[in-house]
Amino acid sequence: MSQSTDLSWHQDVEENGSQPPLSLQDVHVSYRTRKGSVQAVRGVTLDLQAGESLALIGESGSGKTTLGLGIVRLLVETAQVSPGKIIYRRDGRELDVLSLAEGPLREFRWRDCAMVFQSALNAFNPVLKVWDQVWDTAKAHRWNNREEVRERFLDLLRFVQLDPDRVIDSYAHELSGGMRQRTLLAISLLLDPQILILDEPTTALDILTQRTIIDLLRRLKEDLHFTMLFISHDLAIAAELADRVATMYAGQVVELGPVGDIFYRPRHPYSLGLIRAVPTVTGGFEELSSIPGSPPDLINLPTGCKFHPRCPFASERCSAEEPGLERVGDNHYAACWHTDAVQEDIERNGLRGKRRA
Amino acid sequence: MTPIIELRNVTKRFGSGRDQVTAVDSISLDIEPGEIVCLVGESGCGKSTTGRMVVGLLPPSEGQILYRGQDIASMEKSEYQQYRRAVQIIHQDPYASLNPTQTVRQMIMTPLLRHQTLGADRNGAGGGRRGRRRDAERRAAELLEIVDLTPVSDFLDKYPHQLSGGQRQRVSVARALTVEPKFIVADEAVSMVDVSIRVSLLNMLYRLKDEFDVTFLFITHDLALAKYFAWEGRITVMYLGRIVEEGPTPRLITDSRHPYTQALLGAVPEADPELAKKKVHIELLSAEIPSLLNLPTGCTFHPRCPYIVPGECDLVVPQLDLIPDGGSVACPVRMSEPGRIV
Repeated sequence: MSQSTDLSWHQDVEENGSQPPLSLQDVHVSYRTRKGSVQAVRGVTLDLQAGESLALIGESGSGKTTLGLGIVRLLVETAQVSPGKIIYRRDGRELDVLSLAEGPLREFRWRDCAMVFQSALNAFNPVLKVWDQVWDTAKAHRWNNREEVRERFLDLLRFVQLDPDRVIDSYAHELSGGMRQRTLLAISLLLDPQILILDEPTTALDILTQRTIIDLLRRLKEDLHFTMLFISHDLAIAAELADRVATMYAGQVVELGPVGDIFYRPRHPYSLGLIRAVPTVTGGFEELSSIPGSPPDLINLPTGCKFHPRCPFASERCSAEEPGLERVGDNHYAACWHTDAVQEDIERNGLRGKRRA
Repeated sequence: MTPIIELRNVTKRFGSGRDQVTAVDSISLDIEPGEIVCLVGESGCGKSTTGRMVVGLLPPSEGQILYRGQDIASMEKSEYQQYRRAVQIIHQDPYASLNPTQTVRQMIMTPLLRHQTLGADRNGAGGGRRGRRRDAERRAAELLEIVDLTPVSDFLDKYPHQLSGGQRQRVSVARALTVEPKFIVADEAVSMVDVSIRVSLLNMLYRLKDEFDVTFLFITHDLALAKYFAWEGRITVMYLGRIVEEGPTPRLITDSRHPYTQALLGAVPEADPELAKKKVHIELLSAEIPSLLNLPTGCTFHPRCPYIVPGECDLVVPQLDLIPDGGSVACPVRMSEPGRIV
């Protein structure tokens, strides 16, 4: 649509082979419930590189949102993050996110790592105008120059292609879903964070609105080299925006690789199953197949590989031993005993179902 | 053949005075027995309102809805009951549409006993209350098998909260099948279900078309799903209460004519990185959808349409005109200039 507004103050990506801004090391998250401990995230190790956009994809209950909330320490009280480590790096300093005290934690959130939530309406205070909320946020982060904040926010609103005069004195309910989502994005950029976490950024939006959000996020990625972590159940978000994709199942990353590898050369049966289950609009008719069964009970997880009860490639070994992530290509890892069989299946049957013209 | 469902200039208005909105504006639609018709559009386009009028949950403000050639508004009581049985709806959210205090067995058995659709009862043989219960019990098991909830004994005594979203939606379908419907309105019936399970639900619905001669009105915002489910049927695209384009699915998907349809198709995110890169997006003049309270004049798409012809599009409400290769389009500008079609 319109040209991009220059956000010149956004720092350039350090390209001196520096360390990743975010490292997850063997992160576990469990929820205490009356029925037992729900193991939502079970040992995720992941580096988020500067300037990359990484998509976490998976179905409900795969642990992707829990992981996202865990990074900014916004989990409910019944959640326990341990064992595991979350390391954040900026300008040579290193933070252990899980041991941050309340004060530094508030600094870390928003200024270093901002999160855009799934439900844009719930993220706003319904009785505050957008500007009042922005000003509160700035003050809470000790940015007290009203003129400066306003100037900055107006620029951001223009960047997300909103009419600043229309938005700035509105209440959240006066904005449409798409405008709310864009306003939220503008607010999340207010303090110039280094990392942006987006939880289902386009879910529940109409198609044309989704497109404007996707195009906007693409500009953040391509023009401003933002470091972004997308969390979505929607493969299309990953296909449109990600450099790398991590497929999650039952609390673990079961496949990780460059977007092209995951979509065209998947090695984990679950990734393959998802690709074969999702229709595309462009092109002729294609057969689809679903993954049998349903996601596992996170209190009583299956033995061995957690996907084996639903997996067409499963063997005896799969129900006994849990596979770890193994290298299957350049920067491409999969946790499966039968990655070769998956490859053969794709060679024999094609990646997607048969097409009819 | 007589259409199983026919809409004639159906309009639905909500509210009154200044707050009145026209959710559906004079739409006409014929659905033949055995057909699959998809109603596609964004939120507020009137697709769900249309679906609810078709099953008789909402009366139209104007126009007629005909079931097998008969206006449902002027039916005799017994005919009306027959129509209400024959035309069923599956809602989007099975959490909300299933009674949380009833087991699957109760939910399926109640309509079976209530509507006396059991074989024994109809023939007058095998009578007695216990006989009827036994028949209902047997039929319930059959229905659960049809919707792939097997082994049946695992599911009969479950409450909705003990089932997954996909399983719950299957129970909704089984419950709809108790009255042997001939027409099912599926309103976003798979939207809340995980991707991996969606396809099996769609395939199960599709099987009902062949095995039980069920005709479908499939309502969705997801064009990819519409394409998959209705490849052998038709897609009807709605925008702000009006039909802007309709036609056989392959034609509509590969060679759409209305700028709105083209914009939608171009905007759909694709689960394929190469496709996503190659797609042509139509740039609209405005990203915002107009309010139903204050609809634009003429073609309601004109404030956003890149092909707008001032003095025409903003004045005249375009009619649906037939096009040679199937279906119809409500856009005289694009019809008369086929060379400009993307």
